[in-house]
Amino acid sequence: MNNAALKQALHKHYARNQRWGFMWALWTAILWGAWYVPGTALWSEHPYVDISANQQSLRLAATAVMTWIHAITVFLFLLLWNLVLGKVKDYGRTMVRFSKISKWYALASLCGGPLAIFGSYMAMGFVGPVFAAISSLFYPVIGAIIARLWYKEKISKRAAIGMCIIIFGGMVIYGPSLFGEMDASNPNAWLGYVGGIMSAIGWGTEGAVAGRAMDVSDPDVGIHCRFSFEILFWGLLILPFLATFTDLPIKALIVDTFTHSKAMLWIVLAAACHAYCYTAFYKSFSLIGVGRGEAIGNLYAVFALIFIAAFTLQLPQWYFIVGLFLTVLGSFVMFSESAESVAELRDNSDAKVYS
Amino acid sequence: MKLHHKGFLLVTISKSGGIWDQQLIEKVFAEYDESGDFREKTIRIALDELAAAGLIKRIENKLETMNGKAKLLFKYQVSDFGITRMVDTGLLLP
Repeated sequence: MNNAALKQALHKHYARNQRWGFMWALWTAILWGAWYVPGTALWSEHPYVDISANQQSLRLAATAVMTWIHAITVFLFLLLWNLVLGKVKDYGRTMVRFSKISKWYALASLCGGPLAIFGSYMAMGFVGPVFAAISSLFYPVIGAIIARLWYKEKISKRAAIGMCIIIFGGMVIYGPSLFGEMDASNPNAWLGYVGGIMSAIGWGTEGAVAGRAMDVSDPDVGIHCRFSFEILFWGLLILPFLATFTDLPIKALIVDTFTHSKAMLWIVLAAACHAYCYTAFYKSFSLIGVGRGEAIGNLYAVFALIFIAAFTLQLPQWYFIVGLFLTVLGSFVMFSESAESVAELRDNSDAKVYS
Repeated sequence: MKLHHKGFLLVTISKSGGIWDQQLIEKVFAEYDESGDFREKTIRIALDELAAAGLIKRIENKLETMNGKAKLLFKYQVSDFGITRMVDTGLLLP
């Protein structure tokens, strides 16, 4: 075979991997954006709608229960995914290698669950879905910085410019709405703002932490391990602690959620979106790196607004179009990196042993 | 217990000075009692991910005709960073 045919085949190979990586990141954005609809709707169902806004501790306890049940349903959707792909045995073999590999998924689950998802549900419940979506927008910057410092992941100038444009686009979409939702008459809104910060830090660090194990394991298996640990943290530690040492009605909240079919319907829909959004998220990291995967995933802001508008029948404002343009522009700036530069994510020339 | 797939791939590549993906796939199939096009593609994706992460490097490539179709094949070797990661994650003793 001549050199030209080989060169072409190589370019096609790298280009295909780059396309797949960005495609997974785009699906992350679509499904993540969709999640805010059932996630917010859940607050309008029993037993959550019965909790008034000023019952802070009870609302937080309810958020914890909601997040745990969400994790269980996500786990089930992931199990279905790995059964179809024939990766359940690989999941078992990865979970048992705890001391060296799956412990990172356990740490990632603390960042992603009790910090990020819990924080998001807090933001949705105490402020609103529009705020919840925007407040997480800074997570890729946190993820990219940690990935750069910790394991020398390359961020080219073009990728960095693209990430900045995407984040600015997200701010433009939500800025004016944000001021509409920051209502002085909602004294508990500060809990929602804290939740927003938690979600940004949680998701940013989750990507970087999971990356410590994901390079030596399968991403489909990795996300499955991460949610397995989240279920254990909530179910064996946090919720039993709250039930034992406080007078919060944890058991009642759990039973009430499982026995209210409408609440379960929203949880199942939210979990379906979230399970496959997360699968796509982790798969994108493995092909195009944490920084790029998270930056494209940031397009969730666009999709969140589209889905919220479709379900609330309230049309978006003009700044949505501006923000949409900026986020799409930013993603194209990132995508236009040469496929070959995406093929090697790490700066191997000065790779060091992890400290 | 057997190693997870990527662990087995890394260990197998590290034991050789360089190994073609086609030979690797045969070893994986033998180890896990697997076969078929879908499993082969899954292994190739795993190798692409390992290469993108810098754990293995492609030291040679060639285009071969197999079953009437041109197929791009790679020869892999573990990188220095890959050795480090294998030691970190208990796949290789220091």
